[in-house]
Amino acid sequence: MGEVILEMKNIIKDFPGVRALDEVNFEARSGELLALVGENGAGKSTLMKVLSGVWPYPTYEGDIHIRGDLKRFRNTKDAEASRVAIIYQELNLIPELTVAENIFLDRQFTNAFGVVNWNKLYSETQKLLDELNITDFEPTDKVKELTVGKQQMVEIAKALSKNAEILVFDEPTSALTDKEVEALFEIIRKLKRQGVCMSYISHKMEELQQIADRMIVLRDGKTIGEVTLMSEITLDQIISRMVGRDIKDMFPKQEFKQGEKVLEVKNFEVDNPVLAGEKQVKDASFYAAKGEILGIAGLMGSGRTELVTGIFGAFPKDARGEVYLDGEKLDFKSPQETINQGIGLVTEDRKAMGLVLGQSILQNMTISSLETVANQWGIINKAQERKLAKGYVKQLNIKTPGLNVVIDTLSGGNQQKVIVAKWLNTYPKVLILDEPTRGIDVGAKVEIYNLLNKLVEDGVTVIMISSELPEVMGMSDRILVMCEGEIAAELTREEATKELIMEYATGSKKKGD
Amino acid sequence: MSNEVQNATTPGVSSNENIQMALKFLKDNGTLVALLVLVIFFSFADEAFFTPRNLTNLARQTTIVGIIAVGMTMVILINGIDLSVGSIVGLSAITVTLLMQAGVNIWLAVLLTLLLTGVIVGLWNGFWVAHYNIPPFIITLGMMTIARGLALTLSKGGSVPVTNPTFSKIGGNFIPAWISGIIIVAALALFFLVLFRGIQQKKKYNIQVKKQEIISSSVIAVLGLGISFYVFTAYRGIPYPVAIFIVIAFIGIFALENTKFGRRVYAMGGNEEAARLSGINIYRMKLIIYAIITALSALSGILLASRLNGASPNLGTMFELDAISAVIIGGTSFAGGIGTISGTVIGAFIIGILNNGMSLLGVPTFYQLMIKGFIIIAAVWFDVLSKKKKA
Repeated sequence: MGEVILEMKNIIKDFPGVRALDEVNFEARSGELLALVGENGAGKSTLMKVLSGVWPYPTYEGDIHIRGDLKRFRNTKDAEASRVAIIYQELNLIPELTVAENIFLDRQFTNAFGVVNWNKLYSETQKLLDELNITDFEPTDKVKELTVGKQQMVEIAKALSKNAEILVFDEPTSALTDKEVEALFEIIRKLKRQGVCMSYISHKMEELQQIADRMIVLRDGKTIGEVTLMSEITLDQIISRMVGRDIKDMFPKQEFKQGEKVLEVKNFEVDNPVLAGEKQVKDASFYAAKGEILGIAGLMGSGRTELVTGIFGAFPKDARGEVYLDGEKLDFKSPQETINQGIGLVTEDRKAMGLVLGQSILQNMTISSLETVANQWGIINKAQERKLAKGYVKQLNIKTPGLNVVIDTLSGGNQQKVIVAKWLNTYPKVLILDEPTRGIDVGAKVEIYNLLNKLVEDGVTVIMISSELPEVMGMSDRILVMCEGEIAAELTREEATKELIMEYATGSKKKGD
Repeated sequence: MSNEVQNATTPGVSSNENIQMALKFLKDNGTLVALLVLVIFFSFADEAFFTPRNLTNLARQTTIVGIIAVGMTMVILINGIDLSVGSIVGLSAITVTLLMQAGVNIWLAVLLTLLLTGVIVGLWNGFWVAHYNIPPFIITLGMMTIARGLALTLSKGGSVPVTNPTFSKIGGNFIPAWISGIIIVAALALFFLVLFRGIQQKKKYNIQVKKQEIISSSVIAVLGLGISFYVFTAYRGIPYPVAIFIVIAFIGIFALENTKFGRRVYAMGGNEEAARLSGINIYRMKLIIYAIITALSALSGILLASRLNGASPNLGTMFELDAISAVIIGGTSFAGGIGTISGTVIGAFIIGILNNGMSLLGVPTFYQLMIKGFIIIAAVWFDVLSKKKKA
């Protein structure tokens, strides 16, 4: 355990009407990874923004000490000069530029006339990549051609190229495959040996147990308990610190009587829109029945999202096959028709495809079902609309100061609930949820699970895609495992084990084995 | 009413509620205040400004671009743009006058013009934008030259006179002063009726009624309708084009605020992909919106030809810039999703007042152009600043 590098003392940050941080205290040491754990909205990201100078000095109270010196950053440049770097959840890279250009974006190697020395740029980048043992991509590769995991490596390399001594990761693995996560951890271990002081924000307990040395919990803007050695605390204890109560049952699965087949899909295929001849989904056939949650597992890029999005009608040109809903054939040519016929889709990427950011909760909630609040002339009864929305806010326990609040200000879990409400109001027969709990805190996850139970009880057929094996195993009645565009296996709840699912998902066990 | 959406929670208890209310009013109605300041400034600078006669002319001048700006608001709200509107004005003016010259009945001529140079051209623009995802800037830039070229070709480069006296009335006549007075008083009564019903309905559904919103909207209504009453009863009444503009603006405001169509427009502008996956028919919406704006531009051209008693193929040159300016000054975000038609109407009047007032003061046209340009930049700057504060 190294010396104390970073100390944050009595940090208070107020937003109009809310105290986001309330006397936060912790210290981080060199050569260790300090996990920062807490539900969404607990103040983790705000804390990191204070640390990185996004919220400059007089806008918060309290002291930041780095190696014992009091620091008051007026902007992010100040923080960078003090060797603080943050790897954000949303990566800040320019897709059209090369790896090398991105890493040295604001500090190109130029001569006296401002002409770039490309050879030096590439060789310096290569040096950096070598240090990190990164061999998967070249300095000359364009960033847009890299996977998210590799892009993250570029961000890390960029931070290190600025001699960062304090490195903060904000949910770095939320979009990575297992293999990429392993590669990331390898780099983190290396950085630990080099004495870098790291903070790591994450919801994934399993990961933290693997990689974190110590942890601190944040709840409602306050630090709960002391910084604790990871080896001295159990998972349950962490969770109870996070939510302020014990969660007895992480997966409150209820079983209902299985009914008839509601959705039936035969020989479904989706072409790759970019690469001619390639298919994202190959010959997929499955069904979903009333009274069940059908889980779909698989690695990222295995075609799970494309399968359900295709069925939903979002790829009118690229999707082929037969889809039956209650025995009636669907032509899946537009989301609009599919919704009318009774299918809803909670998309994987909440911000890009689910929400209309910048607009109110109310507007987001009724956008798919305006006919429920409008008369035959298309005129909306606003009072009725508010009443309806209020009902959902209460029913789904959405935490919001009001219905006219811009959706961006809610935490991930509450945003997700607004999206679920949006679909509930279309009265779907089948509701498909693609990674419904990604980036959502533990407490809200359980609420979503309970909601799924409630839906099934009310007669909605639920299809849930998930990358988290405990979740898909804990909540599904049957599990489809996808691998490289094919449905490799269909497992019952009893058959499914982590190992079995992974074997099918990685292709080490093939279809029919 | 512009940015009232965001402020659901009013933090804390204030020592002086009235001052807070006034400040909030200023913040929510910045463009309106700017408009008032301009009116007061020009009234003092030149006594010919605040006269019923001049203000009637001002209103009539403003409506031509104002009608287009209503459509432009919708287009910009869905993250689009239409550069062809100015050329459409020229084309429709030529078309309608030529049709009448050829002996077509005037109402049929008007209808055909709206259909051919308005709806059809708009559907064409919308088709390319929606079907092939070509940036609207490019498509409408193309249409801008095509329509202008067509207008020049049809008119053989010269102007076309209007001989039909009925046609001149559309753009030139007035609703008699006494009827105008009654209409304005009725409008005020209607406003309070709607306001009252709104409050009642809110109470019925147990929704909190915001006092300051009611007061500020009442102040705006009384002031606006009061000035209109003075202007339109003291001179010759409400000009037909102004009446048409008011009707169109109200339909537009209502459609965006209170209909499914409006919700879809805002959702598309906010996040087109999410809107598509929420079941909005993006394709059809784009066709409709581009058809609306060209139809409105065609209408504008018809009104202009009627008022001028003739058409020249160069009518409407640079109107696209005035229309876009009105929308932007009115507070609509160029990135789409945020903005209102009431803002645009105010924006259109700001431009109208600047044109009119500066001409009265004898400011040379060259300077007028520069001043207008600076004002557009300032409006956007203000918009950017106020957004920064929110974040």
